[in-house]
Amino acid sequence: MSLQRFTDRTKKDQDFAEEIESHLAHEQDASMARGLSPQEARRQAHLRFGNPRTVREQEWRYRSFPWFEDLKRDVSFAFRALRKTPGFAVICVLVIAVGIGVNTAVFSVIDTVLLRPLTYPDPEALVQLMNTSPRGSFPGANIPKFNIWRQQPGIFQRVAAYDFGGAGLNLTGGDHPQQVEGVHVSADYFAMLGAPVIAGRTFTAAEDSPHGGHVTVLSYSLWKSRYAANPHIVGTTIPIDGQPYIVVGVIGRSFVTDTPADLWVPFQFDLNSQDMAHFFTVAARLKPGVTVAQAKAQLRLAADQYRRIYGVNSLPPDAGFSVLSLVQSKIGDIGPSLLVLLGAVGFVLLIACANVANLLLARATARKREFATRAALGAGRGQIIRQLLIESLVLSLSGGFLGLLLGFGGVRLLLRINPGNIPRIGEDGSAVALDLNILLFTLGISLLTGIAFGLIPAISASRPDLATALNENGAHSGVGVRSGKLRSVLVVSEMALSVVLVIGATLLIRTFLNLQSVDPGFATHKVISMAMSVSGDRFQKTAPVDQVIQDGTDRLRAIPGVVDIGVTNCLPMASGFGMVFDIVGRPKDNGPFTGGAAFYSISPGYFNAFNIPLIRGRLFTRQDDATAPSVVLVNQAMARQFWPKSDPLKDRMVIGPGAGPAFAEGPRNIIGIVGDTHDGGPNREPFPIMYIPLAQMPDLETALNSRVAPLWWIVRSQVDPRTLVTPITVALRDASGGLPVAHIRTMDEIEARNIARQRFNMLSLTIFGSAGLLMAAIGIFGVTSYSVQQRTQELGIRMALGAQASNLRNMVLRQGMMLSFIGVLIGCGGAFWLTHFLASFLFGVKPFDAVSFAATPLLLSVVALASIWTPAMRATRVDPMTALRIE
Amino acid sequence: MIMKRPHEAGDILQGTLDMLILRTLVMGPAHGHTITQAIERTSENVLEVEQGSLYPALHRLEDRGWVSSAWGVSENNRKAKFYRLTNQGRKELNAATGRWRKMTRAIGLILGESFD
Repeated sequence: MSLQRFTDRTKKDQDFAEEIESHLAHEQDASMARGLSPQEARRQAHLRFGNPRTVREQEWRYRSFPWFEDLKRDVSFAFRALRKTPGFAVICVLVIAVGIGVNTAVFSVIDTVLLRPLTYPDPEALVQLMNTSPRGSFPGANIPKFNIWRQQPGIFQRVAAYDFGGAGLNLTGGDHPQQVEGVHVSADYFAMLGAPVIAGRTFTAAEDSPHGGHVTVLSYSLWKSRYAANPHIVGTTIPIDGQPYIVVGVIGRSFVTDTPADLWVPFQFDLNSQDMAHFFTVAARLKPGVTVAQAKAQLRLAADQYRRIYGVNSLPPDAGFSVLSLVQSKIGDIGPSLLVLLGAVGFVLLIACANVANLLLARATARKREFATRAALGAGRGQIIRQLLIESLVLSLSGGFLGLLLGFGGVRLLLRINPGNIPRIGEDGSAVALDLNILLFTLGISLLTGIAFGLIPAISASRPDLATALNENGAHSGVGVRSGKLRSVLVVSEMALSVVLVIGATLLIRTFLNLQSVDPGFATHKVISMAMSVSGDRFQKTAPVDQVIQDGTDRLRAIPGVVDIGVTNCLPMASGFGMVFDIVGRPKDNGPFTGGAAFYSISPGYFNAFNIPLIRGRLFTRQDDATAPSVVLVNQAMARQFWPKSDPLKDRMVIGPGAGPAFAEGPRNIIGIVGDTHDGGPNREPFPIMYIPLAQMPDLETALNSRVAPLWWIVRSQVDPRTLVTPITVALRDASGGLPVAHIRTMDEIEARNIARQRFNMLSLTIFGSAGLLMAAIGIFGVTSYSVQQRTQELGIRMALGAQASNLRNMVLRQGMMLSFIGVLIGCGGAFWLTHFLASFLFGVKPFDAVSFAATPLLLSVVALASIWTPAMRATRVDPMTALRIE
Repeated sequence: MIMKRPHEAGDILQGTLDMLILRTLVMGPAHGHTITQAIERTSENVLEVEQGSLYPALHRLEDRGWVSSAWGVSENNRKAKFYRLTNQGRKELNAATGRWRKMTRAIGLILGESFD
């Protein structure tokens, strides 16, 4: 098809007019030549040619896209119609913008977290190696497992181990020692993830073996910030923990890892190690064509192989190995909670649609005469429906555009205030970026909503009864019974949907309050924590580490305002370590050990710093050092579980039996019981914990510890601990010979982070519930006002016949409240069914919580009453004379 | 592409008008009025060009690139738009003529002699 046909339409039409004129002139010439008078000749020419305008119009249509023309006309008509009622247009656009905005907001998070693939090449082939058991599965590996997994034939292209930089590394040298995120990786790590190398190379297999030397690979950001993007950095040495490391390569900027890494160093595993400690995770890239199912089948065999090599006790009989797609393992358990939010915003959108449909219905009723006139002039029903649909699409698309800005801006703001512990969203939600998915989603729901709320009014308005509509006085022609009923149905559904939302929000608010009121078992106010990385050769034995702890504790105590100081290898409410143990002399019923418990290594001041009470026995002192008898403390939960009828203080226990050489030690005396702490977060019962003094750790364990965890310093103060950060860091640097500290956070912050997810859910649902409630209130207000206006005459007559103002008011109130009650009733029924989807997000409150189910209908009734009060009062002010004269 | 046009009896068969116009232009560039007259005269006044459909046809041919147009001065010393056959138009005319001949021959074969 030649596009020429559609170009320069106006110019071509002009041209054609002239051409016709020329034709007529020639025709006239010819006739005059036959002897006709000029007038007669002209007349004949016109007769023969026909109506030039018709031909030109025909040609004009030929040069146009008919549907496009119609669309253009309808759109411009829609704009004109909406401009005439700007108040209506603005309210509609705002309501739609809120409805679509919340959907865009939630979808943009879902898009980032659930839908976006990993940024690595061919991400579907990447899997996380997992340990499975009937109690759940978890990532995590020790050297023997890594060794077994990488030897599995035929399934993996590459297998790599990596940790999360937990311990941190110290960039020494220069004036500013800096603690950096140093991630340990095995040699294949970069190749497995397809990391772009922009200078040098990554680690060789030789470098990643024991005694492979000190080598490191830098991240783009560290190379840029600390080394000014020095192009000759490769081959030079940089001091890490006081040792010279050769820089062998730099990784490109596009390489993103979950925990940001500043630099990487090789693990240098001894693959013959029998070390059973889990201190890293393993991922793999499947060979092309190998499926996850095949890999899983192979790994089931690997579990048996592992037991054969490392002993029956190395892996419980019901435990095994498996793989999980890497993206899935990163998403974790956030999915259901995002889907609940998506459901909630779906409700908000439905309410918005019902609201706008209601407004459109009212408007369509007022425009009845317009449609009747148009129908009388020959507009088909389809044309009127199309016209109305286009009006609603203009509204929904404008609302959608505004909603996109609102929703996207809103979600960025919300995530900045409260990142909600959501994976994959980057620092403060920075990874939540506008992309094609989000744009298409918003466009899609804008179109859908436009059709959804536009179709019902359009169809009902396009059924005009011409004679009545044209004869009646337009504005006051009665509301059709049908559209009146339709509007009531819409209001009832709005109320019902709001009830569900508000009940959900109430449940989450109560959950959050319950969580907040849980006593964590340790002091969080005026307590600050910070991490000191003791990696490096200096800290491979227990004595030098203990020296730093004692020295630092003494120096901190000298700072005015400091009350207590503790040191630990893991923080409460942050993930810690677990270890198996035996109770000396107790028979093991089933299984290789007596049991397992969380495992803390701490300084004597730990319990005082956190105000954790001593229940029985005594706490650690400085005298409990390497030369003194070995001791251990247990918490109440541990005492309850393992000594239900006996006295733990009379027993001795062995920690880490069979856990490898790092944990080889003799039995410890249990010297006391301390209070429980909610280590797994406030929503979980305290679990068993055992504590040992840092000063009594075997040297090999200290070496391992220094590699995988920092030393956490805990300082409790009389004043706001934030004001003491400078003297504390100076004192610690002096005590440790120049070590910096990082991750400085108050325990209040850490506690808040622990319930951040619940806080996020609560905040979101409260926002959505309020938005829904507000719209429902607007809806019921609109319907009542409108019906009062429509019934002005009736009310006037009633008044003229002697009805009291209060009678009229009560009549309007009764009718409005009737709708609300029906809505509330249906909503409660719906909530009864829907809240069980919330069950797993609740704490200390049942899905069928009496308070929520009683308070919400009450709240909604009050809101409904407030919304219809004004129109009801207006009903009492109807002046009978004016009302009757309107016609 | 096909224009909606009421189909009347005596009207020139749809599609054949294009061919006739192209054929007329083989003699040289001409304006609309000349083309009408040429078709009518050559057909011994059997065919009557509905003038309202001549110009849409010309414009369609021009959009397809079979004719080109330019304003000029006519034999009556009046301003007129002259249409000229393009090479593409000449090819199309040959093809259309071939198709037409084949068709009339086929129809002729079926109809045979007259049945008086």
